[in-house]
Parts: sequence; structure tokens; C-alpha cells
Amino acid sequence: MLNRRGFLKVGGATAFAALFGGCERLPKTLVPFVVPPENYALGESLWYASVCRQCPAGCGIVVRNSEGRAKKIEGNPLHPVNRGKLCARGQAGLQALYHPERLGKPLKLDGPRGSGKFREIPWEEALRLLMTGLASVREEAPGSLLMLSEPMRGHRNLVSARFMKAFGSPHRVAWDPFGQDVHLAANEAAYGVRDLPEYDIAGTRYLLSFSGDFLETGLSPVHFGHAYGRMRAARPTVRGKFVHFGPRLSMTAASADAFLPVAPGTEGFAALGIAHVMVREKLTPEAAGAVGLWNAGLKEFTPEAAGERTGISAADIEVVAREFGANQPGLAMAGDAAASCANGVFNLSAVGLLNLLAGNVGKPGGISFPDRLAAFRKYGAEAKLLLPAAESGYPAVRDAVERMGKGAFRMALLSGATNPAFTLPPSLNFEEALLKVPTIVSFASFLDETTSLSDLVLPVPTFLEEWGDDIAPAGHGGDAITLGQPVVTPFRDTRSMPDVLIAAARELGGPAAAALPWGSFRECLDKAYAGMGIDLEEARRNGGIFSGKAGASRPTPKAGSPALPKAAEAAFAGDPARYPLVLHVYPSIALSDGRGANLPWLQELPDPIATAVWRNWVEVGPKTAAALALSDGDGVTVSSPFGSLQAFVFVHPAIAEGVAAMPLGQGHTRYGKYAADRGGNPYALLPASVESATKAPARQSTRVSLVKTRMKGALVRTVHPEGQWLYENIL
Amino acid sequence: MTRNAIASLLALVALALALAVLFPTHSAAAPPEQPIRYSHKVHVTDYKLDCRFCHVYAAKSASAGIPSLAKCMMCHRTIAAERPEIRKLAQYWKEKKPIPWVRVTELQEYTYFPHFRMVSYGKVPCLTCHPGIDRDDIAVQRQEFGMGWCLTCHRGRGVSIDCWTCHI
Repeated sequence: MLNRRGFLKVGGATAFAALFGGCERLPKTLVPFVVPPENYALGESLWYASVCRQCPAGCGIVVRNSEGRAKKIEGNPLHPVNRGKLCARGQAGLQALYHPERLGKPLKLDGPRGSGKFREIPWEEALRLLMTGLASVREEAPGSLLMLSEPMRGHRNLVSARFMKAFGSPHRVAWDPFGQDVHLAANEAAYGVRDLPEYDIAGTRYLLSFSGDFLETGLSPVHFGHAYGRMRAARPTVRGKFVHFGPRLSMTAASADAFLPVAPGTEGFAALGIAHVMVREKLTPEAAGAVGLWNAGLKEFTPEAAGERTGISAADIEVVAREFGANQPGLAMAGDAAASCANGVFNLSAVGLLNLLAGNVGKPGGISFPDRLAAFRKYGAEAKLLLPAAESGYPAVRDAVERMGKGAFRMALLSGATNPAFTLPPSLNFEEALLKVPTIVSFASFLDETTSLSDLVLPVPTFLEEWGDDIAPAGHGGDAITLGQPVVTPFRDTRSMPDVLIAAARELGGPAAAALPWGSFRECLDKAYAGMGIDLEEARRNGGIFSGKAGASRPTPKAGSPALPKAAEAAFAGDPARYPLVLHVYPSIALSDGRGANLPWLQELPDPIATAVWRNWVEVGPKTAAALALSDGDGVTVSSPFGSLQAFVFVHPAIAEGVAAMPLGQGHTRYGKYAADRGGNPYALLPASVESATKAPARQSTRVSLVKTRMKGALVRTVHPEGQWLYENIL
Repeated sequence: MTRNAIASLLALVALALALAVLFPTHSAAAPPEQPIRYSHKVHVTDYKLDCRFCHVYAAKSASAGIPSLAKCMMCHRTIAAERPEIRKLAQYWKEKKPIPWVRVTELQEYTYFPHFRMVSYGKVPCLTCHPGIDRDDIAVQRQEFGMGWCLTCHRGRGVSIDCWTCHI
């Protein structure tokens, strides 16, 4: 035991060491580089422009490189998407680069399949294993090769697509849990364009958001955040007003002038209530002319009816409708929570109807559809491969899982951060099915739940060490191509996936070699852009090709007579008596779909609403908590008909009653020491159900029960739930 | 010898020692043991290389920098490749190991000395602070950087003698 005297002795010695530790002499040896990094200047910072790949938004970045090391990532001021800004996830890219658990050598399975036990092997052996596998599959059944990745863009996608086509397998599946299928279908229904729009938030006067947490997650949070700032303050005209409808007060909702809590899945009815008032009171010229819409059934959707379904007052709906009508240009947006209900297309089409009634389609301050294809016309049919793929790929993933289970695949190539073993509903049994594929090869930087199942893991560079190009899904008029370049010399023994595919194609010979006729991925990029009449060196210095003039926007064929979307109800699995609450899940602002969970900077980033760090929680409203005899900080078991987990209760002061909300992203079982064993995985509570029209994943479609449970520890928060600052929680 | 004589001799020795401690001469210390016997004399005096040919960062960085191994090999792939010291150099290159040079010139770490200001703007010749290094076979530090010495030069050139010019 350490007594007081002993403690003082140790303390004294430590203090002494601390005092004199700083007085060490200068280092005795001076060790220069063997070969200095390119453009290296001692003591001088160099900034390299590249592209962020921490999420699919595709922001431009500039990275400070000092003495050969990347030190800081900032937004690229020239880039139209983020205009010099960058979010926390982008900043944390440095931790992915320097991560102690990052793979630096190929790994070969060294234990039972799925055990996650590997040993390091040299690249020559790894490539030999890969090539032997590929050659035998191509010989016997080329169609039994599966490529399962995240959605890719730019030439990286072109290389993968050509490789699979030339190999002879149609099974190229891209999985994105937050795909935009429902947006595409709703845009086709409302505007006649199956594409993602540009929202001119900066130019609008009145913004309506239906569960669209566009400032924190979603399509392009940094772009929207910057535009929102301009709409609210940084413009010489009117300060825009913002009203948010949604099940919970998110950070975006907290930024709004008014937050109206609606029951999950009823966003479409709230929108129709507003549309009803607009047409009834002829608030805009378009609304005045929408007699057909009125007679088609809009007259039934009174504010009172909408209020009854959504749980907000009819008077509020009327006020919002009148303000929206009077303040044009106005803009209505919907987000992931409205889209990922069973009635997602209805919700989003109803929101689209508001834009049509406001007459803002194709106008400043409204919604437009730029022609993003323009830059890549020379690729003909392949041009689409270079553009953002907005779909979730859920039907294809389910199909692939079924085929895997039947033993239809002999080899699987996995890549990307979307981690299907973690993000797919457990009832699909992805893990079990994948392990029926005899050979699994992953391209990865980390061992997550999916890559741990592999037989062979090929380490890839991080986005800061790679050549590449990218086309962002939002934030530019179709005129921005972002170019990526290594900002540091790769310091692990990695090879990028396109480079490996190009080398593999060369070795396979025949059509594969002809389809990928380059020496390396960089050569592929250089040749592709050399023909565009630009100075590639200059473009890479700027971070991309930004013409600054928007491409011609597409005509919107159905601008004339809007149709009334067919009303559909959201469906929730589970008996309301046994599972009294509706589960609302949302992507975490820091961890995204879960890919950020292995970065300590993101784990220790307090959630802007709950202020909690390092694990997840379940949010319920004060009345719901009281009815269930739960108080803030209690441990509960959250059970759905599909799974259960334990979490701490956060009594959220502004959430629709009867709803339990959970952030996604936490609950890893693998993915390294910073990610694993930090609470349960809410994806495991979700059913495999789909949005009825698009077959996209319907995450907002189950009920849950909360039962008080003893749990060890506590939820660490910086702010007390009732609003007082508890300094002991901060210090 | 009397006891007095011995005592006065001891006193003299003690005085000499005290003087040596209090007023150090500017004679150089013994040259350090370097991994390669690099000669500044051969490169600078005999072959008239500019200091900044090797210490490239002196004009733009706080530190003048030690040349990379690649820089040495630029010439020594062919020049004097058979000499034993150059063979050592080639061995480092072959193994791709950096050379752990022993530091020669020391400046107290609480002093900020930006080479680029002296070299680019002050046009101070290198030999002002590194006297005689151009004639050393093994480099040694001949000039101790006491504050008085620095200030004499600063005053003479009419540049700032504010504390925070150097102690930042």
C-alpha cells in the first residue's frame, strides 16, 4: 500500500523529473533524410489539394504537409462544394492515416474462417494467392465472382466496372445504407427527373425541412451548412426563415426558427396539409392554378386531418403554409428519416409537391437539376459510371446474399467503408451467407466486421495517399471534377484497389487486359484528363477542375400540372402492446453510418444534442419516460422483434412522444480497440423490410420496448440533461 | 621546495583553473567522432563549393539543414568512389539508412535563431558565426554563442535587440 509519506516521496520524485525533464540538452545526432520527400523544404509547410473520402459528400480539401508529414486537413477554398469549410469527420482523416491499427501488410487467414485471426504475408505471396483464385474462377465459372463494395465514383468505379465486365461476371454490387433510391423515385414522380437536385438554400427565403438533418448528415452537410449560413446571415437581403418538421430535435432542428415534432413516417401528411392550405387560399400563382390537384383529393387533406396524424396542431400547419406562400422563393427539403419509412416515396413526393406549388423548380432560391453528365460525354455509355451512384443497392445486396447462401459464388472481392456485416439487418444473415463463399478477398485499411471474415486482406492506402478523382453528388452545377493526389508519401506497404485490379487484368490477359490498358491507376487518370484540354498539373494544384459556370440545367418535363402523390401509411413491425414505442434511428453526426467509430477524435466529439461521448444512448420524451417510469441515465434493454441491446436513457426534451430514438454508428464487435464494445448496435434492431415502392431499406419501420436494466457505468456527457452545466462533467 | 612555495604554486594553479572556468578562450573543443570523416576543407576551401549547395534550407528556413544522403550520392556515385570514407557513404546508401551525424554547433534551445533572416535579409556571411569551419577536416564549433556576442553584432548592424527578437 502506498501511505502518505510514500506518496509524497513518489510525488516529489515525479515533480523533480518533470522540472528537469525539460532541461535535456539538444539532440546529440542530426539525422537527415536518405531521400527527402518531394518538394520538401525544412521548416516550410506545403499545402496539397485533394479530395476528402471520409463520407460520400466529396468535399475538396487542402492538407498541410510539414517535413513530409500530413499535419492538418482544411477545406479547399476553391472547391464549389465546401468553399474552404470542412467538418469534424474530414478533419479526423488524419487519424485514419496515422492509425495504429491500420493495415500495412497483406494478411492471410490464420485460424478458422471468420475468426478474424490473420498473419502477415509478403505482397508477392498475396498477389499470387489472388491471381491463382481469379484465374481458376475465370477458367471454370467467371460469373461466380462477386464484387461487393461501397458506391464508387470517378475512374475508380470505371476501372472496377470494366474489370468485372471483362472478367465475365455481372455481379458487381455496391451497398450504401444511406442510398438515395427514395429521393430518385420521388423526384421522378414529382419533377419527372430521376436524379438528385441542387437545393439553393443560400438563395431561399423560407426553408421547410421534413426530417432533413441536412446540416449534420445526409448528402453534403458542409455544402448545406455553408449555404445555410449565407441564407441566415451572410447576405444583404432578407434573413431566411427555417421551419423543421421531424420526430426529434436534431442539431439541424435546433438551428431552426420553429421545430414541429411529427410522428415518424407522417412527414408526407404534414406536407399535404400545407399544400391544402396553399391551394385553398391560392397563396401562390401555381397553387391558385392547381384545381386539378384539389379535385384529385387534396381537399381531403385538411390541416386538421394532417394534425391528427402527425400530432401537431392544425393552426401551426396553417401558419407555416401562409408564411411559406408569402415568402418566395421558398424551398422544401426532405431527409433520410422521411425517406427510410415504408412510405418513403409518398413522404418525399408530397414534399416535392410543395416545391411545385411554390413554383421554384429551376429558379434561384429553389430546386434545380443540373446536367452532371456533361464533363464525361466522351465516355458514351460508360459516362454514368463516373458520376455519383445515388442508389443504396439494397435489392442487389439482398439478391447477392441469397445467392451466396446457395453457394453461387466462388470468390468475393470486398471493398469500401459501408461494412455490410455491420450495417445490414441481422435477419439477412449476411455473415453466414458470406462465409459460404470459398474465397473472400478484401481491400481494406482496417479489420472491421466485414473484412475480418476474409481469407485474404490486401491493405489499401488511405485517401490521403492515393491518386483519384471524384464527382460530388451535390453542391455544384455539374461543372466540378475533384482531383485527388497523395499528400504524403505512403508510409505503409499498401496498394490501391484500382492498381491491383489493373495489375490483375494485365496478368489475366485477353479481354481483361484490353479493357484496362494502363500501367497504373495514375496513368489511367492522367490519360483520361489529358484529353480534356486542361493543364492537369495546374488542376491538381487547385484540387480539381471547377469551371465556375454551371452546366445547362435539364428541362423539367412535368413542370405543368402536379399530380397528387398516392397517400401511404408508414408500417411498423411489432405488436404495439408488447412494443409500445416507435424506433427512430439516425446516422450519428460523428460516426456517420459507423465508419468513423474507430477514430478517437470522432468518439470523443460530443453529440451536439445529447453531449454524450464514446457510446450510444436511447432518447425518449419526458412524458414517455414518465409513463415507463424511466429517468435520465437509467440503463434499459431496448428490444425489437428482431433483436435487443442495452443502452442508457437520455430524456430528450424535444422529441415526439411515443418515439425512442437512437444514433447509428456505435456497437461494433470488431473494428479495433476504439470502436469495439461501446454499447449495442442499433442496426441489429432493424427489420429487413423495404420501402414499398423502391425496395430501399426501410429503417424507420419497427417498434421497440424499453425495460429498465442494471448497467455498469454511466453515459458520459458534458452537459446535464436539465440544462445546468455540471462542471465536474466537463473538467 | 618550501611549504610556502608549494602553497603559492597550488594557489596559482587554482587561480588559473578559476580563470579558465570564468573566461573560456575561444579555442575549439576536440572534434567529435563522426560516422564518416567528412571534411569541410576539401569541399569548401579546395573545391570551392558554396555552403548553400549542401545546406540548402539556410536561405528559407530557420534551420540550415543537413544534406540528405541522396544529395551526397549525387556526386559521390562517381567522384572519389573508391576512397574508404566514400565507401562507408555508399554502404549507407545501399542500406538506405540515414547517416547519424553528431551535432557540432549548439545554440541554447531558448534562443530562436532563424537562419533565413541572417542569410537572406541580413546577408551575414556563414563564417561570421561558424568561423574556421571552411578549413576544418572534422568540423568543430569555435564560436560560443553568448548573448553579449550576439548583441554586439545586432547593435553594430542596427537591428532589433528586443528580448523577444530571439527569446520567443
